[in-house]
Amino acid sequence: MWEGLPFFLEVLVGGLLSGVMYSLVAIGFVLIYKSSGVFNFAQGTMLLFAALTFVSMTERQVNFWVAFSITLVMMVIMGIIIERTVMRPLANQSLLSLFMATVGLNYFLEGLAQGVWDSAVHGVDLGISNDPIFLIEKFPILGLDIIISQFDIAAALIAGSMILGLTLFFQYTRTGLSLRAVSDDHMAAMAVGIPLSRIWAIVWAVTGVICLIAGLLWGDRVSVSFTLTAAVLKGLPVILIGGLTSIPGAIVGGLIIGASEKLGEIYLAEIFGGQGIEHWWAYTTALIFLMIRPTGIFGEKEIERV
Amino acid sequence: MYYREAGRLVKSFAADRRMLPLMEDRFVTTLFVVVVMYGLVTWLASDYIFSAILIPMMVLGVATLGLNIATGYTGQLSLGTAGFMCFGAFAAFNLIFRLDWMYIPLAFFLAGLIAGLMGIIFGLPALRIKGFYLIVSTLAAQFFAEWVFNAYPWFLNYTSSGVVNLPPFHYKVFPFQELTPLNDAFWHSSRGRYLITLTITIALIVACKNMVRSSTGRNWMAVRDMDIAANVIGISVAKTKLMAFFVSTFYCGVAGAMYSYCYIGNLDFMIFNLRRSFLVMFMVIVGGLGSILGSFLGAIFVYGWPILVTRLGDAIFGGGTLDTAFVENNSKIVVGTIIIVLLIREPGGFAALWNTSKQKLRVWPFSK
Amino acid sequence: MNTSTDSKNPILVLDNINLSFKGVKAITDISFNVYEGEICAVIGPNGAGKSSMLNVINGVYIPQEGTITFEGKQFKKMKPGTAASMGIGRTFQNIALFAGMSTLDNIMTGRNSFHKATFWETALNVGRVRSEELASREEVEKIIEFLGLQSIRKTPVSSLPYGLQKRVELGRALAAQPKMLLLDEPMAGMTMEEKLDMSCFIQEVNRNLGTTVVLIEHDMSVVMDVSDHVVVMDYGKKIGDGTPEEVMNNQDVIDAYLGVSH
Repeated sequence: MWEGLPFFLEVLVGGLLSGVMYSLVAIGFVLIYKSSGVFNFAQGTMLLFAALTFVSMTERQVNFWVAFSITLVMMVIMGIIIERTVMRPLANQSLLSLFMATVGLNYFLEGLAQGVWDSAVHGVDLGISNDPIFLIEKFPILGLDIIISQFDIAAALIAGSMILGLTLFFQYTRTGLSLRAVSDDHMAAMAVGIPLSRIWAIVWAVTGVICLIAGLLWGDRVSVSFTLTAAVLKGLPVILIGGLTSIPGAIVGGLIIGASEKLGEIYLAEIFGGQGIEHWWAYTTALIFLMIRPTGIFGEKEIERV
Repeated sequence: MYYREAGRLVKSFAADRRMLPLMEDRFVTTLFVVVVMYGLVTWLASDYIFSAILIPMMVLGVATLGLNIATGYTGQLSLGTAGFMCFGAFAAFNLIFRLDWMYIPLAFFLAGLIAGLMGIIFGLPALRIKGFYLIVSTLAAQFFAEWVFNAYPWFLNYTSSGVVNLPPFHYKVFPFQELTPLNDAFWHSSRGRYLITLTITIALIVACKNMVRSSTGRNWMAVRDMDIAANVIGISVAKTKLMAFFVSTFYCGVAGAMYSYCYIGNLDFMIFNLRRSFLVMFMVIVGGLGSILGSFLGAIFVYGWPILVTRLGDAIFGGGTLDTAFVENNSKIVVGTIIIVLLIREPGGFAALWNTSKQKLRVWPFSK
Repeated sequence: MNTSTDSKNPILVLDNINLSFKGVKAITDISFNVYEGEICAVIGPNGAGKSSMLNVINGVYIPQEGTITFEGKQFKKMKPGTAASMGIGRTFQNIALFAGMSTLDNIMTGRNSFHKATFWETALNVGRVRSEELASREEVEKIIEFLGLQSIRKTPVSSLPYGLQKRVELGRALAAQPKMLLLDEPMAGMTMEEKLDMSCFIQEVNRNLGTTVVLIEHDMSVVMDVSDHVVVMDYGKKIGDGTPEEVMNNQDVIDAYLGVSH
């Protein structure tokens, strides 16, 4: 058992690091859900759209930062357009309708992204080394002989600092305060003069930025192609574990899913007679958590009044 | 006016409870089914019409109806439709393949039951978790289905390619089939498969209509609209939800079996992927939540649009001009747009549009 | 039914009910009886715990302490389903109709306990389905006639005005043929005429069918008119219990309603 420990830790750390990425995607979900009650299924495709736009420019010899800025501006504009044309006319509709609208939006963007660009597989290189780090060499004090991917660490750092920045932004700025007011009660927030549509526009724009960062990180790791839309499927169990309305929940949920996915792949796949369990394992993990806490770890428990 | 909705005196509650209370509706529907679907179409349609248009539309319509029972009638969001179709398809294959006395309708029915059982299992969390959180359970079902038939090749009879061709000699349609003039070859042709699909589809529509117009359907809708109130007036919410999941996944299971046997003619778990689940969901939204007619209108539109675009392209620009990628992206954009526009303008989908246009026609030309 | 309540059997006995939400006390030590065939009004200022009281009676809330005895059967935890099957009907303060269904279907759902047919029987439309559906329809049609809802029989309830929705909700509760009706502010937000109609319906149900009624109401003139028995609550406690006259002259009640100078 104990000989297996370093290996176990290696898997765990790898899982946690990839979990930070899931958290980033999940925070995009949470922001929109918190502020407008929309469960944004189009996030995966927004991510693909961002990455595809960026790659299409760099492949045409556009400078990295120029391409990044243009894509950033484009994602912000896209977020605002989505808010204007789709979400605002649907305000006050049932949660199910809003969800379905984003599913439709998702389909639309999928067609658009692949129609405007193409459906080929692109590579994206952020210039982050993918060499493994031998922890025992760098930090002998820890006494752990495990290998960690340098890319994973860098990605986790970028994602982590994004998360930190967003948390601070929404905790300490006026916009953040308004957002929290809106998420508590739309009507009351409007009544005290908070411009609801501006908050929504900001949230959608921020989500656009998150999609760009996540899209590039993910794109570097796996490649930019249609499979990127699966990001939404990675983010889903995360926010459901964490609770749809909680940013800390998204972070914790991401770590749990990341770790559980990697551990499950290594330790459970054999029991289940084959590889590829990670797809449903993440959902099973989420299901177990939800059976214990039906609205996620940090989710608001609604008291039903009659 | 030959067609009038008002002014027909309903003389008994039994008459008011009929599936189609209007005499005209009954007449037109019967005419359509008997003369058109079983008569003219069966007689005249080509192989292409059967196997590329009518059969898939009916099969997908049944799957849409299944999802509509869970989502439209009972308010339980499900993203695992294709997964349950997959369970149904594999159940049907194994029943027919392993038991040589098996008949197609019975196999499809049992396949539905097995899918329904899976539906109950994956529906159990619905007793505790609500709303969006339930997505987890249905997605788990979807991915579990995709995985289990990949990981355990027994279900595929160890076919190395992962795709089982369904040789037609596998199936019998009904007992004493050999005594009828319609031989095996007929039932294996597209026309025969069309008749099988049509009959099963009609049976499932009638059954659904029956449930919806009775206590079963009212309980579903009560749970959908306000589960606390339903509980207080004595409806068991747990039982109702599980029952809805069972019936819903039963339909999906039968649709899956028909998909394999009557439509594509092979068994392939890759086909029943998450994308197909979403496609069925689009059919529900476009057609109209909580509508039987809508389920089929949605299936016809979402399935038919790419075909229409391809055909139009061929007609206008000459054969094969439009490549599949273009058609695919075009239909994604169109269907996506229609979903959004419908949700904003007419959340009831095509079914509601159909009803309002009937209303407008009634007062035509005095309407705006 | 203005006979003295003493000669009657209690249909419902609440004994020492305590209910709190995360430490916040909603109901403290409440005990009272409701007698068979009476109209019992529960009154009190907003936030007094009246609705919570009704929720305890039919099992929506589970009290931390105390027992509920309905028709001689004692419960520590009542369940909504059990309450319904024992014959407790209910309407809600904020209308809880099934918004997507017609008036007729809403009232039909009230009769779900009379429908024994399983779902596959309904799917095939065989066996008892037809007779049950028609029997229910006949009963429901009587209620529709009684409440004057004929013209909106097939209208989706979400498009009905408030007063009519309240009526449909009463109809749905009546369809179950309850022994006891819990009505949570059945007349709130109604015009004088609508209130008159509604109190007529309630009294008629009580008189003709012998249904016991527990209602929450703020309009004192209505309360004094229709009820045989009044329970007064304030801050989750019972401060008065008796005939309308007794309660009207109760000093605690007067203080609670008019305020006291300290």
